[in-house]
Amino acid sequence: MNCNKATVLMSAAIDGELSAKETEELSEHLTECPQCRSEFQDAKNTKIIIRERIVRVKAPKNLVESIVRMTSVIG
Amino acid sequence: MKEKKKALSAYEELKQREFQKEAVPHINSLYNYALHLTMNPDDAEDLVQETYLKAYKFFDSFERGTNCKAWLFKILKNNYINKFRKNAREPGKVDYDLIKDFYHTIKDVQSDTTEAESDFFHSLLHEEVYQALQSLPEEFREVIQLCDMEGFTYEEIANMVESPIGTVRSRLYRGRKLLRAKLEEYARKHGYNTDTDE
Repeated sequence: MNCNKATVLMSAAIDGELSAKETEELSEHLTECPQCRSEFQDAKNTKIIIRERIVRVKAPKNLVESIVRMTSVIG
Repeated sequence: MKEKKKALSAYEELKQREFQKEAVPHINSLYNYALHLTMNPDDAEDLVQETYLKAYKFFDSFERGTNCKAWLFKILKNNYINKFRKNAREPGKVDYDLIKDFYHTIKDVQSDTTEAESDFFHSLLHEEVYQALQSLPEEFREVIQLCDMEGFTYEEIANMVESPIGTVRSRLYRGRKLLRAKLEEYARKHGYNTDTDE
């Protein structure tokens, strides 16, 4: 496997969405390519940073209340 | 009339209880998704409200045992398309200042992680990451949100965005590549070293 193909696979690897064969091929490449190893780490970080840094807001209280009310009245 | 209402109630009560257990807990995720789509808190509220109304109405068609959150997201997305795209109405006249203020308020409330890390990744704040994400073309932004923030599988995302799994996979790859470039650019501007060599 060349570095280009490895880079493409990294994204799906992080999400646990590679086939067994692809996983094997990628890890084989990673063991012998320090540059791709470092890139793989960066790719992992990018995912983490999105999850951690994007602020999750709570739905406004009035919205929650209105939905609970709505599903208790219909019928 | 009262009798008729009472006759309905056993079934309705069961439905309500199940709905409140299965669907209502996802309200925060839906609201966040709606906010990202519309970039306008009022539109986001309307969208979530309409989504729940529709979901409740068609709750019988929800396949039990499947991911209810994914089902709700799909309804919300369809609603969004019908509401904003069909009428060619701009999603909420994107009010960047308002959304910025909105997130500012929330950011203050959020406890900051006190990591000793000094690399650029850890130095990035919500606003920078948010802006970088928002600057991506929608097709990329959407799959990143659904995957990284909401934790959906490729199959669930493919179903939501009505594209093959391979397309989701390649959009994620390309979107992340763009995002990373934006983040690095941002970090460089602020004097952080983005070299990956350890």
